[in-house]
Amino acid sequence: MRVVLLIAVEIAFFMLFVAFMLANQMGMIVAFLLFFILLGIFLKKWEKVNRGLLGLFKERRVLSTPLFIFLLLTLPFFFKTSPYLIHICVMAGLYAILALGLNFQLGSTNVVNFATAASYGIGAYTSALLAVHFHISFWFGILISGFTASLFGLLLGIPCMKTKDYYLSLVTIAFGLIVYILLINFSWTGGPNGIPNIPPPLFASHSFRDNLNLFGVHLPFQSNYFYLVFILVGGALFVAHRLHHSRVGLTWNAIREDEIAARCQGIDVTRYKILAFCIDAFFGGVAGTVYAHYIGFISPENFAFIVSVVVVTMVILGGMDNVFGVIIGAILLTIIPEKFRAFEDFRLLIYGAIVVAMLMVRPQGLFPQKLRVYTKS
Amino acid sequence: MSYLITTEGLTIHFGGLAAVNEVDFQMNGGEIVGLIGPNGSGKTTFFNLLTGIYKPTRGEIQYQGERLIRLPAFKIAKKGIARTFQNNRLFLNLSVLDNVLIGMHPQQDSNWFDAIFRRRYVERELQKGVEKGLELLNHFSGELAENCYKRAADLPQADRRKVEICRALASKPKLLLLDEPSAGMSPKETEELMEDIRKVRGREKGIGMIVIEHDMIVIREVAERVVVLNYGRKIAEGTFEEVSQKEEVLEAYLGREEKDVTA
Repeated sequence: MRVVLLIAVEIAFFMLFVAFMLANQMGMIVAFLLFFILLGIFLKKWEKVNRGLLGLFKERRVLSTPLFIFLLLTLPFFFKTSPYLIHICVMAGLYAILALGLNFQLGSTNVVNFATAASYGIGAYTSALLAVHFHISFWFGILISGFTASLFGLLLGIPCMKTKDYYLSLVTIAFGLIVYILLINFSWTGGPNGIPNIPPPLFASHSFRDNLNLFGVHLPFQSNYFYLVFILVGGALFVAHRLHHSRVGLTWNAIREDEIAARCQGIDVTRYKILAFCIDAFFGGVAGTVYAHYIGFISPENFAFIVSVVVVTMVILGGMDNVFGVIIGAILLTIIPEKFRAFEDFRLLIYGAIVVAMLMVRPQGLFPQKLRVYTKS
Repeated sequence: MSYLITTEGLTIHFGGLAAVNEVDFQMNGGEIVGLIGPNGSGKTTFFNLLTGIYKPTRGEIQYQGERLIRLPAFKIAKKGIARTFQNNRLFLNLSVLDNVLIGMHPQQDSNWFDAIFRRRYVERELQKGVEKGLELLNHFSGELAENCYKRAADLPQADRRKVEICRALASKPKLLLLDEPSAGMSPKETEELMEDIRKVRGREKGIGMIVIEHDMIVIREVAERVVVLNYGRKIAEGTFEEVSQKEEVLEAYLGREEKDVTA
């Protein structure tokens, strides 16, 4: 009986999401959003229902998780006539990777880094240049650009360690601007015109720019990237989760809570902060690579300061140092603005309003960090 | 005879002020030294110098025959000098047990690579840490061990102090610095604190402790030797009885007695 309830609830939530994505009239979209907000408030107020459901999901993890993954994998089938929706999902996934990376710094360690766009851009340009000039395959490129971005993260981390708090943020902003301006001014990066004609990845002679045939269904080419990003987000989630539940995650938290006390416990604060910089940049590099090969064209505009601000907003909205929350934050802040395309001009205003509102009402984010509990094994 | 820690002519200037001025100090392992003096006499600054938070302007610190000055704070902590803070600086948004686990940082060695790829190693290390942490908490208060998943911010002052002592002890220090442990405590809690200090000593053989205190009862009961600071200088040293007779000490605390004011 409970199993049926579990499956029913999960499918119901999924169908709601699909319906929301497919909705194309402003009135319907607003109605859906209001419904979601009310549902959230309802679940918050009626703790019994909330706890019961969460408990059920946890208890039957063996069933609920695979079902959840399966449902997500079917998304392209629902959107096969509107590739744009799949595109939104791909972008949501890329932002989720960026936000998970930033979370190591902003959420775990309280290092407010505004240079996410820089590592995103460095990753994108590295693999794009390698692919266009040296015909290096995407699969190598993604690793190389991850490590290149990490190296730049290290380079950024070192001067940052001389500063603290707001000053550190200023250094990261400056770094982001430097990368942006260099990308415009170098001739070998294509200058303001960027790099066109970046080849798509090949997987066993299947080009990612061709339509995908799955079980006899023709899916638009974006689906290739959907599944690729799905796997990458899974990997990022796995790494983030493991780091969080380890000595490293705990040490980062100690630094966030009280740096002086952390130093007096024998923690090498500098090293751990730089480690956070490197891992963040790696995630950024990977996401950048996928973006470059997916869109096929990159220019410095794609990696401007505003991208960093958006990712910071995602982490703050989702919940500092909560891996699950950060992903939700990234998805919400990618999908909702897309659904309100009509108000494109007010996009930044909305991001600003969200940050101010969150910091005032719920500074810990939608899903705050949970205390670690160690179970006997 | 080799000392656990010695300082020679230890001095630090903040602008024109010598917060700690030419202090010579030595102590043996297993000893409990009380550090007293009026407010602003440089006691906490002395701790900050020993732990490497501040760098001295002049002078030497030797710890087990090693020079400590110029070492960063985290290296000094790794060598076995642990401390608590005046306004206790727990990691407030973490659980009691996590606070103690962070104290074990110097003994553990798993890094980011292990965390991602060598899960079994990490789990084993964590398991060991949790067992050790619970045992440590249990030693000081069974109640704390039961509530080990409580947020540190939700604890009353006296319990926070206990957790802080446990966190310091988790790193297996040879020298423990307690900065005004009885601040803000009721007489009953202070009683318990003195019991805790004795427990530390019974548990960690050979550990040296320096205790900053304003509560003279604690100093009398616990400290075997007392050092008095005033305006950054050491003005007296000896047993509590000796020190409390000294004129300079009384002057420092009560002010100079004016003779023949009325005459």
